Amino acid sequence: MSDFWIIVKKEIKDLLRNKQIIFGMIILPLILFPALGQMMQIGIEQAQEETKVVLVNFDKGEYGSLLVKSLEIAPNVTVTQIQAKDLQEAIKKAGEKDYNVVVVIPSDFSQKISSNEKTYVEVYAIFKGISAGMREGMSEGRINAVVQVLNEYLAKLKIEQNVQGDPEAILKPIEAKSYSIIKGRIVEVPPSVVSGIIFSQAFSIPLVLFIMITYVSQMAATTMAAEKENKTLETLLTLPVKRITIIAGKMIGTAGVALISSIAYMIGMKYYIGSLTPQTSEIGISLEDLGLSITPKGAFLFALSLFLAIVFALSISMLLSVFAEDVRSATTLVSMSIMPLLFPSFILMFADLETLPTAIKSILLALPFTHPILASRAMLMQQYSQMYFGIAYLSVITLITLYITAKFFSTEKVLTAKLKFGKRKRGRA
Amino acid sequence: MPAVRVEKLEKDYGKVKALKGISFEVKEGEIFGLIGPNGAGKSTTLRILATLLFPTAGKAEVFGKDVVKQADNVRKLISYLPEEAGAYKNLTGYEYLEFMAKLYAKTGKSVEEMLELGKEISDLGNRLYDKVSTYSKGMTRKLLLARALMVKPRLAILDEPASGLDIINAYSIRQTIKSFARNEGVTFLVSSHNMLEVEFLCDKVALINEGVIIEIGSPRELKEKYEAKNLEEVFMRAIRVSAGGE
Repeated sequence: MSDFWIIVKKEIKDLLRNKQIIFGMIILPLILFPALGQMMQIGIEQAQEETKVVLVNFDKGEYGSLLVKSLEIAPNVTVTQIQAKDLQEAIKKAGEKDYNVVVVIPSDFSQKISSNEKTYVEVYAIFKGISAGMREGMSEGRINAVVQVLNEYLAKLKIEQNVQGDPEAILKPIEAKSYSIIKGRIVEVPPSVVSGIIFSQAFSIPLVLFIMITYVSQMAATTMAAEKENKTLETLLTLPVKRITIIAGKMIGTAGVALISSIAYMIGMKYYIGSLTPQTSEIGISLEDLGLSITPKGAFLFALSLFLAIVFALSISMLLSVFAEDVRSATTLVSMSIMPLLFPSFILMFADLETLPTAIKSILLALPFTHPILASRAMLMQQYSQMYFGIAYLSVITLITLYITAKFFSTEKVLTAKLKFGKRKRGRA
Repeated sequence: MPAVRVEKLEKDYGKVKALKGISFEVKEGEIFGLIGPNGAGKSTTLRILATLLFPTAGKAEVFGKDVVKQADNVRKLISYLPEEAGAYKNLTGYEYLEFMAKLYAKTGKSVEEMLELGKEISDLGNRLYDKVSTYSKGMTRKLLLARALMVKPRLAILDEPASGLDIINAYSIRQTIKSFARNEGVTFLVSSHNMLEVEFLCDKVALINEGVIIEIGSPRELKEKYEAKNLEEVFMRAIRVSAGGE
C-alpha cells in the first residue's frame, strides 16, 4: 500500500470513529431532510383537502345558477348553499362549521352579464391559524379557476353572438374579488398576499427558535463540559458558594451570550427572509393591517414562554453534559437529546396544530419547544388562554428539570457520572 | 479540637473498595501527609474531606464540622487543590485570582489583600497578566497553589501538589507550602506518592495502601521504628509487615 493510501485509510478510520461526525454529518441529514419533507407533505396534503365553500347567492338569474353549478362540479370543491340575510350572517354560519371559503354572488350578477357589463363575485378565505397559509391560498386558486372557466365560456358565447360593447366586460365578464377573514374580521387583502405574510411568520419563528435553542444548549453543554475537560470543576465545587448559585450563575451567563448570538442571528435571518419575500414590504401590508397586532400582554406572555423554554434547554443541557467527559462528547450528547425534542415542532411551519391527527397533536403538545411557537401565534391572534396553558405546562416541566439538575449537582454524581457508549470505566481511587 | 478527624471511613465505587475503614487525626497547624502508591485511596480521602465525594460509611470532620451534613460550612474553612487541576484558560492569571478572591472575600479590602498575597505566592511577575492558556505546567500549578493559599484557609487540602513538575518548580512549591505553614499557621493535609517530598514537608504522615492505613507517625519516629534511612524504605517494610500480619 502506498503512503498516500495509508494516510487516506487512517483519515477515514479516524473520522468515522468520531461520534460527532457520524451523528452530525451522516445520521442527522439522513433523518432530518426526509422528516422535513414528510412534514411539508402533511401541510400540502392538508392544503389539498376539499375546499369547503359556503355559497350565498343573492342573484335570481341564470348566470348565478350557472356559477353555482360550475362550482359544484369543480374538482375538490364542496359547495353548501345557504340562505343568509347579509354577508356577516354568511361568515358567521361558515365560521360555525369547518368551511374555509365564503362565496357571495351579488343580486345584480345575471343582469350585469346580460347587459354586457362587468360584474364580480366575492371570495372570502377564512384563516383559522398561522401556519404556512397554503390551504387558504389553494382555495382561492380553485375558486378563481372556476371563475376563469366560466369567463371563457361566457366570452365565447358573447363573441359567437357578436355582442358589441366594452371588450374587457366581454372577455372577462366576472371578476373574483378576494378577501381574507382573520379572527372573524374581513381584511381587504387577497388570501394569497396574507399567505405570503403569514408564511414568513410561520417559517421564521420555528427556525429562529430552533437556532436559539440549539445555540443555548450547545453553549450550556460546552460551559459545563469545559469545566470537566479543563479540570476546573472540582475546584469550583469546593468553593464556599452554594451549588444552586453556581448553576444559576452559569445558566444566566450562558443565556446572556446565547441571547447576543440569537440577536445577531435574527438580524441576519431578517435580511435573508426579507430578500426571499420582498412582495410583502413592497405592497406595504403589515401584520397590524391584517388585524394581527401584538399587545403588551401578548408580548410579555410570549417572552415568558420563550424564557421558560430557554431555561428548560439550559437546564437539561447542563444535566446531560455532566455525563460527558469532554466538550466534544457533551455537545454530541446534548444534540442527540435536544434534537428529537425540537425537531417535531417544525411540522407547525406547514400545518396548524388543530388540523393535525390527535396522536401527532398530543406528541407536539408534550414537547416543550412547541409551546413558544404556539405562543407566538396565539400572541398575534390574541388567544391568551392558549398561552396560559403553554406557560403553565412549560413552568411545570422546567421546574422539574431545574430541581433534578440542582439535586444532581449537590451529589457526587456531578463528578463521577459517566455515560459510556462502550465498556464501563471504574471510579478512580 | 483536631483540624481533621476521620473515623472508620469507607468508600466504594461499585464493587471496588477504595477505602476500607481508615481513621486518623490532623492537629491544627500541622502539615500532615498521606502517602502511598497510585490507587491507594489518597485522592478519595482528600475528595471526601473536600466535600466532593460522599463516604459509603464512617465519618469525616473538619474542625468539628461533618463533611456531609455541614458541607457548606466545611467549604468555608478549606481550600482544595486537586491533583489534576486547571484554571480558566481565557482569563489572565490575575483575573483568575481576582475571580476566586471575590468569592471568598466579603469586603473590597480583603480582595486586595488576597490578590497581593496571591501575586506573591504565585511568583509569576508580569506573566500574571497573560492568559492562562499561555502558561507552562509549572506556572499553572504555581497559580493554582497561590489561589488555594491566598484565601488563608484554616485547612489547605493539597493533592499531589508538586506532581509532574520539574525539580525547580517542585522545589519552589514545597518551599512555599512550608513557609506558608510556618508564617500563617495554616493546617495542611497533603497527599503524595513522592516519599522524599513528604519527608521534607510533613510533621506527621500516614502510610496508605489499598485503602488501608498501615502506619501513622512523624517521619523520624517511623524511620526509627523500621530502622530505615528514608520513608521509601519505611513504606516498603511497613507493607511487608502488614501483609505478614494478615
